[in-house]
Amino acid sequence: MTWKEQLAAKIPPELGREIDIYETQIELRKLGKIDEKLFAETRLRRGAYGQRYDNGQRFDGFQTQHLKYPHALTKGPDTMWDAPGMQRIKIPFGGLNPKQLEALADVAEEYSDGILHITTRQDFQLHFVHIEDTPTLMRRLAAVGITTREACGNSVRNVTACPLAGVCQTEAFDVTPYAKALAYFLLGHPDVQDFGRKFKPAFSGCEHEACGLVYMHDLGAVAKIQDGKRGFKVFVGGGLGAVPYQAKVLADFLPVEELLPTAQAIARVFARLGEKQNRARARIKFLVDKLGIEEFKRLVAEERKTLPHDPRWTQFPAVAEKPLKPASSLNCDRPEGFNAWLETNVYHQRQPGYAAVTVACPLGDITSTQARQLADLVREYSGDNVRTTVEQNLVFRWVSEAELPELYEKLKAIGLGAHGAGTILDVTACPGTDTCKLGIASSRGLGRELRERLAGKFFTMDAAVKGLRIKMSGCFNSCGQHHVSDIGFYGNSRTIGNHKVPHFQVLLGGKWRDNGGSYGLAIGSVPSKRVPDVVERITERFVKERQGNETFQDFYARIGKAESRKMIEDLMVVPPYEKDPTFYSDWGDPREFSMGDIGTGECAGEIVSALQFELSAAERMNFEAQLAHEVGHFAKADELAYGAMRQAARGLVHEQWLDVPADPATVVREFKTRFAPLFQPSLAAYLFRRHEYPPSTHTAESAHRLIEEAQLFIEGAHTCGDKLQQQKAAERAAVLKK
Amino acid sequence: MDLHKFGVKLFFVNQQDRELTEFIPVFHGWIQRQALAGHLLIDVHDYSHVHHGPGILLVAHEANLSIDEAEGRRGLVYIRKQPARLRDVVEAAQQAAKQLSDEQGVQFNDGQFEVFVNDRLHHPGATEIAESTGGEVVPKSTDPRERLAFVVKRG
Repeated sequence: MTWKEQLAAKIPPELGREIDIYETQIELRKLGKIDEKLFAETRLRRGAYGQRYDNGQRFDGFQTQHLKYPHALTKGPDTMWDAPGMQRIKIPFGGLNPKQLEALADVAEEYSDGILHITTRQDFQLHFVHIEDTPTLMRRLAAVGITTREACGNSVRNVTACPLAGVCQTEAFDVTPYAKALAYFLLGHPDVQDFGRKFKPAFSGCEHEACGLVYMHDLGAVAKIQDGKRGFKVFVGGGLGAVPYQAKVLADFLPVEELLPTAQAIARVFARLGEKQNRARARIKFLVDKLGIEEFKRLVAEERKTLPHDPRWTQFPAVAEKPLKPASSLNCDRPEGFNAWLETNVYHQRQPGYAAVTVACPLGDITSTQARQLADLVREYSGDNVRTTVEQNLVFRWVSEAELPELYEKLKAIGLGAHGAGTILDVTACPGTDTCKLGIASSRGLGRELRERLAGKFFTMDAAVKGLRIKMSGCFNSCGQHHVSDIGFYGNSRTIGNHKVPHFQVLLGGKWRDNGGSYGLAIGSVPSKRVPDVVERITERFVKERQGNETFQDFYARIGKAESRKMIEDLMVVPPYEKDPTFYSDWGDPREFSMGDIGTGECAGEIVSALQFELSAAERMNFEAQLAHEVGHFAKADELAYGAMRQAARGLVHEQWLDVPADPATVVREFKTRFAPLFQPSLAAYLFRRHEYPPSTHTAESAHRLIEEAQLFIEGAHTCGDKLQQQKAAERAAVLKK
Repeated sequence: MDLHKFGVKLFFVNQQDRELTEFIPVFHGWIQRQALAGHLLIDVHDYSHVHHGPGILLVAHEANLSIDEAEGRRGLVYIRKQPARLRDVVEAAQQAAKQLSDEQGVQFNDGQFEVFVNDRLHHPGATEIAESTGGEVVPKSTDPRERLAFVVKRG
């Protein structure tokens, strides 16, 4: 018995088929029948990501070791097949139920290291996963309704949303149904398969809180009510990364029924005009910037008019959560430590008598055992829902307030009763050098150190300091969202003498509220080991010189950049190696610091066009025809080979007609009309003949011949596709030039 | 049936209060020397911030090893990832434990250890576990959602 057989009845057929295809692609890669770049983008679009040292090299503190994995095979450029990888798991709007939490716990234990890591975009990540375990892992998640599809790669990433949606006191309305609808509408949608880079959507219930951080997203939607109608203020073209951009307003008010088609139109414009070759300029923010928001709006509006109606545009799922228990008030005995937890981790819902509880997960990590225990607590106190947050925590909703002390005690018993959620203690960090191929400095190591040090002082801290947020990234790519924190850090390196020293650039002035309302700017780079002193220095100065109720941002603006830098200047000095070698290694890593382990990131995915995917699918289908032929299923082999030709032909037609249907007659007719001059006639004839004269009997020989012909047809489609891509690039250049 | 996904936990009898992070350089040293025969040692991971978690993890191609704190009991955990018989898995875990003893003075409980099956689909029974480990085997009473685990007692 395999998991595939065991779970067959529980996996939605379409999802099951997708995973079967992915598994076949793994087999094809092992046979050398898929190019490594194509395979890399294929696995990325299933959330299977690379991880540090997967190029087979690692600096051990003295020398670079060449890791001798059993197989020479690669799963992408410079990426060893056997090297442990990361699996990202999409959780739309961060919402999951206890059953899903349990399934995540099981797969983390069996295929990873028993740790579930919550990311800054409400996903889960599992590390040290072997590529060949991923199809089974995906099936086990699919059986409980979780997909990893398009969790990485040049695709629509997880749709994030405020974890308090539906219970928030200040939201215009609950954005959950719309976030969910958009997530599943865009998932696998043909119009989002041809991006040059990733695309991240986010939802927020109101403009002034942090919630969805819409300003830093490719597409952001803020709930708004106008004339009694529900709609969204829509933003486009935001993003962090090395050079952060604030999103621009695409529409001040877009009725809810226009949200999905507008997103689809944006996707089409991005796919058509977005940069494809230069990854550093391929996010939509660069396109919006280049065209200007007015021209971008015009293009989107034009595109919107051409879209064929889709009934899913207005199908918003009902996601109303029902409270498990009656509302109650908190008027019982309070256990030790409860009040501090209540102050920072509990939010009183809009619905009287209920609270939302933030479970602070240190650095976003929980064990599989804790995940199961949390699932029990969700069932007991919250019902059927729990949400992940972009601050790497979990939120229980609908907790009857009288039960808060009991829940606190139970969380404490499983090591998750820490106070300080959403405060300076709740440090957010990306994976950094722990597992990321691009990491320069140890953001998690620093995060761990800061948490420990700040925890010791928390109760004596000034309230204004407690409320600050610290976020850090291991490099300038901003996965830790350092730009939108009060005090942000990103990893870099400096050379002192003959040695490298891990550093963090200090950023001040970022704003978490107002949906990531402003971005911090760097004031100077300090050695990693001095960062705790920097935090102390800055916060002490803030407390000492704060005027009235001045915010940290206002304080920073008042004292100015020069003075801020002066404040930390002495901490930027690195003692010589001979005097203090501890500066020359990173937090939690005794090896002498090196930049030698940085690999090629996969955040940008591989540049693989939608047509290449279609042609790859055609090849896979033809391979399946061979398998059918091998076991004597000649009729099936014939049908698959014919299907492979149609798939390739449809891929070509799709390049010119995005809404091409899949029915054979249309595909063949359109292919004939559009591509006769570009396609080698003898190869095109294979498709036309099979389409017009289906065989009345199926023999081994006839099926074999068709498989051969299908392969040649696919080769012809590749050649034709190259010509098409050249034409498209020229057209795109002309539009942008204009 | 794929039955290689076994895990073994050998319990510390001393150094229970030693800082977990002190084991980080120990594992890095093992990688520098590729000190565990039959294993390609890859990386060290710090989970000391996680309550009752894998503590300090040493990732190898063949197995994950950790100074594990599950259930609040410190031990050396060896979880096999590549095909091997249970007998060999136990032996590999003991080999790693011996290395830790020789280098760091860690003492292990020789009379009792745990075996678990890191696979919820395929798992052997107590009799097969006993045959492979040469000890008295008692199923560990756990949450049914947890992995199947056994306490192995050796005279």
